[in-house]
Amino acid sequence: MLLLVCAPIFLYLLVPTLIVVPMAFTPGALLKFPPGGMSLRPFRALLGDPAWVDAAIVSLKAAAVAVGLGGVVATLAALGLHSAKFAGRGVVQGALMVPIVAPLIVLALADYQFLATVRLTGTWLGIGLAHSVLAVPYVFITLQASLAGLDPALLRSARGLGAGHWSVFRHVYLPALRPGLLAGALFAFAASFDEAVIALFLQGPAATTLPVKIFTDIQYDLTPKIAAVAALLVGLATLVFVVQTAVLLRRRSQPRATTAG
Amino acid sequence: MPHDDTRDGPTVASAPHPTGRDLEVVSVSKSYGGPDVVQDLAFTLGHGEFLTLLGPSGSGKTTTLLMVAGFERPTTGDIRVGGRSVVNEPPQRRNFGIVFQSYALFPHMTVLENVEFPLRMRGVAKRARGAPALEMLEKVGLSGFQNRKPRELSGGQQQRVALARALVFEPDALLLDEPLGALDKRLREAMQIEIKAIQQRVGISVLYVTHDQEEAMVMSDRIAIMREGRIVQLGAPKDLYKHPETPFVASFLGETNLLPCGVVEDGAYGKVTFADGSSGVAARPRRDPGDGGGPWLVSVRPEQVRVLTPEDRLDTTIDGVVKDCTFVGSYVRVTILACGQEVVVKGDETISAWAETGRRVRVGWRRDDAQILRAD
Repeated sequence: MLLLVCAPIFLYLLVPTLIVVPMAFTPGALLKFPPGGMSLRPFRALLGDPAWVDAAIVSLKAAAVAVGLGGVVATLAALGLHSAKFAGRGVVQGALMVPIVAPLIVLALADYQFLATVRLTGTWLGIGLAHSVLAVPYVFITLQASLAGLDPALLRSARGLGAGHWSVFRHVYLPALRPGLLAGALFAFAASFDEAVIALFLQGPAATTLPVKIFTDIQYDLTPKIAAVAALLVGLATLVFVVQTAVLLRRRSQPRATTAG
Repeated sequence: MPHDDTRDGPTVASAPHPTGRDLEVVSVSKSYGGPDVVQDLAFTLGHGEFLTLLGPSGSGKTTTLLMVAGFERPTTGDIRVGGRSVVNEPPQRRNFGIVFQSYALFPHMTVLENVEFPLRMRGVAKRARGAPALEMLEKVGLSGFQNRKPRELSGGQQQRVALARALVFEPDALLLDEPLGALDKRLREAMQIEIKAIQQRVGISVLYVTHDQEEAMVMSDRIAIMREGRIVQLGAPKDLYKHPETPFVASFLGETNLLPCGVVEDGAYGKVTFADGSSGVAARPRRDPGDGGGPWLVSVRPEQVRVLTPEDRLDTTIDGVVKDCTFVGSYVRVTILACGQEVVVKGDETISAWAETGRRVRVGWRRDDAQILRAD
């Protein structure tokens, strides 16, 4: 019974992936399904094409800026809101969520308007800055979850033992935040690496991200390279997921209380 | 009088050992905008003394400890260590070892790193930290555990690590906030003895906060009983138990029988008359409770109430009827209806011989075991 319900759902979720991955191994020069053979030619062509490699580098740079800047802002916000109690705390918290709920197209337009005035359109830095806004809520949410589990007595204890503010951050907050920070950074990275709408608005000859490149190539250059990029991205996402699960499982299986008296 | 330092207020002279690094709390009040949570509090923790703040929840005892530690700021008043005011110092610059109920060990550090932490915060070089930390772990009985993580230890062991960590930097005093609250009864009793032993071994002053009166009795040199933000009585455990000044103290510290009475005679002892017309003699309050008026109560501990044969003569005797009798183990507890209320008697097993329900009995007590108190 369960299988009857679940199988179609799984199929529905997986079919697009199941189609695009085999297509990446198309031996011919044109993208088609079924691929009609198995070949690594599209991958070789992809990695040999400087335009695609550049796009990947731009994406990585933008994502690095997004994760770095967004991470710092989100960490400061989470720490500040954790220890402070003031009227309007909920409003600030809500404001931090805006990038997730606001329509991307609106953000993209605003980003374009602003970055054009400071002459940062068409640069990977501009895309990274715009994406850092998207990154904030992801990191903020995971950090808040980490902080909720933090024993407030730890903070007092550390200060009572002689720790100043910086030491409290380093020895109490940071260890508690680390898992949340990692998870949040991963989400933020994915959000930036994946994002096409804003990147499309801000793109330029020297600043084309992977999703933008895929989008434009679909229109002008429909080759198996596109499927190869998609397959690589699916592979990357799977790898990240597997590693994360492995880390989680390992942490959970660690001994809890094994005292010998 | 042995307890004359009770409410003498902020005078330094009342400290039992007015030398060294005494901790003085000087007419401290705290309010969060509303009524005072702590009101005009004053006591001195002498060097090497174990002083307990004992009171029900909401009596202000933890707030007091947090003010001493520096996490809360007194609205008025002063806190001094060795005569120097520390009220403007942040917690990290006050030299107190603090242990909270949750132990608050750093989960990502080993036991040794936890104990080394305060030394590290004081700029002690890495090489110089290990020896004192290991020595302190030995003093709390945890040699060989230094490389464990806190989660690999039992509750009692974590408690000892927290103690070692709070002691390793030779603080001016140890501040303990219900440190045994999370442990089960048997372990708690063992740890009471243990903490007291460690305190004497290290020779440190302790300010201890608890709501458990037995714990306070076992461990303390002196107890300050708190109620609604004030110290209602401060003194040695035995003194508080034998000479409570208010019905609250009498019934909070151990069990007591409180019998309404009229007081008809002055002097060191008062002649008292109970509701059923019987009368007796009881000790008058040592401290004048103020405006002199009643209503009055006599407080008698259950273990001081004796069952009398017709020939026996005692300062106070009353007649009653046995209501029930419970075997508790180390003692037998009998409830008697007398003077229109229940009177509890505690004794050894021999009293179950006469304690049949419904039987008429005469009970009584010595005048020194009965304390006249003014009703709250």
